[in-house]
Amino acid sequence: MKKGKMTWKENLSAYSFLSPWIIGLILFTGGPIIVSILLSLCKWNLLGSPRFIGFANYSQMFADSEFLNSLKVTIIFTIISVAVSVFAALFLAVLLNFKVKFVGIFQFFYFVPAVMPSVVMAFVFKLMFNKELGVVNYLLSFIGIHNAPNWLNDSFWIWPTLAYASIFTYSTGQMMLIFASSLKEVPPELYEACDLDGANFVQRFIHVTLPSISPIILFNVVVATVSSFNSSFTLIYPLTDGGPNNATEVLSLSIFKNAFKLFDMGYASALAVILFIIVAVVAAFQFRMSKNWVHYDA
Amino acid sequence: MEPVQTSKLNSKVKHESEVKMKKGTGTKALQYALLIIVAIFMAFPIIWIFSNSLKTLNGISEYPPKLIPAHPQWENYVEVLKNSNTLTYLRNSLILIVGNTVGTLISSAVVAYPLARMRFKGAGVIFAIILATMMVPTVTTIIPQFLLFRQFGWLDTFLPLIIPSFFAYPYNVFLFRQFFKTIPRSIDESAMIDGCNRWQIFTKILVPISKPIFITVGVLSAIYWWNELFTPLVFINSENLKPLTIGALSSFKVQGATNLTAWNLQMAMAMIMAIPPMILYLFANKFLVAGMKTSGLKD
Repeated sequence: MKKGKMTWKENLSAYSFLSPWIIGLILFTGGPIIVSILLSLCKWNLLGSPRFIGFANYSQMFADSEFLNSLKVTIIFTIISVAVSVFAALFLAVLLNFKVKFVGIFQFFYFVPAVMPSVVMAFVFKLMFNKELGVVNYLLSFIGIHNAPNWLNDSFWIWPTLAYASIFTYSTGQMMLIFASSLKEVPPELYEACDLDGANFVQRFIHVTLPSISPIILFNVVVATVSSFNSSFTLIYPLTDGGPNNATEVLSLSIFKNAFKLFDMGYASALAVILFIIVAVVAAFQFRMSKNWVHYDA
Repeated sequence: MEPVQTSKLNSKVKHESEVKMKKGTGTKALQYALLIIVAIFMAFPIIWIFSNSLKTLNGISEYPPKLIPAHPQWENYVEVLKNSNTLTYLRNSLILIVGNTVGTLISSAVVAYPLARMRFKGAGVIFAIILATMMVPTVTTIIPQFLLFRQFGWLDTFLPLIIPSFFAYPYNVFLFRQFFKTIPRSIDESAMIDGCNRWQIFTKILVPISKPIFITVGVLSAIYWWNELFTPLVFINSENLKPLTIGALSSFKVQGATNLTAWNLQMAMAMIMAIPPMILYLFANKFLVAGMKTSGLKD
């Protein structure tokens, strides 16, 4: 009897500690997801009250070339930004793992772009990639490229620009730190065995390092995918604002414009639901994966 | 015969170690070269901001572009700080940082406590929901939030940007939980025997020994709100409530020509915005690195 009372009290006190989060979940995350689903079945421009229209927003969406473009652009952006940032993070981490002096100084330079405001980076990228004023085209002229592209205003060349920008993101810096610490955990015996066989640096990397950290690579790929959905707006909005010609109008931008520029709340909510489903699928994959392949000590 | 052999062997060993050393210095030089080239590549955008922040507008359009301007224009900084709403934007950014950091430190620590140190019904489910909501992009929940705050009459105030932090951000709850788990549970148990209740254990014992995680979350929160663009863009309209990120986006047009960017001023502004995170890294890099690594590695 007493024990029952104790657990009851313990449960009560645990949930009172949790109460701020529970309220937050209802008001700011879980609740809004449900409201979004309901709103996506309505037509509403903020005036008057929402009008129920069933799945009309969704059927309009899949007939709309702008939406299909946005979906395509989101996928392209996600693939490019994830590939570039994972590769860059691994490369930087390998460099930081060299047994040399001043590693701290190098880490400062490699890491600091990650904590820069994306607005700041967008400003300088705009200047660097400017067709006439830009230092990038100036440097290209040294290797004989004289009619260099108009990076920011060309619906193809904007992608290499965004790929370059993806190197300097929070996500890259974060993964670099994770890679750097996992590289330190590769058992040194493996390298010694490899050295006895006379392997060079590249062979060591391919045969020892990569297999040892492969779970981390896979894990980082999924983390980077989820965070690219989160950060795409902050990277793209100040840099291209979805342009040129909607070439980089990812879903997050499209939601923002439909909701807060056109005030088409129902349609914007339907877009948000689609984005939510995409993220949920990726996240579910991550959950499964972290259970099966990745083991960390808490 | 024997002594000859040993000396031969010795010389062979010596020779090998010499080769190894030579190879060592060669590799070292190569490694340093690579490290330095990559450091320049990574730092280049920031160097370029600094360089251009010291040019005149004409200097920026000069061809070929110069790395070191002949006559550094420090007046650009004076003009940025004086002429525009820069100080107002700066004040607003600081309000957002302080409000959110205070809010999230209190609420996230409180919420993390039972998750790390108590056994209760539904603990597993709740932790799973917290991990799941970490991945929900803000953009998918922003419309209902906007409508809610419109109902409250909070649009175009700081409230929608600060109040949610008092209801625990999942990322920070996770960081606190990981830290609290490393503290032995026996501390709680002996305090309970002394007659402390859970709240007293939390405030009197756990919080004082958890300084590192408070600093870590504080630093991450400060960086996040220094950079935050999306939510202020949705909730803030008035010029005098905009934080630096939005303010910087719309300011700095060449006078009289609304479509031309005053690049020199924009770069000076960018440099001003770049310095605080760098300083924060220099002073708190241990905490920052620890926090970023943990939030990437979920168990």
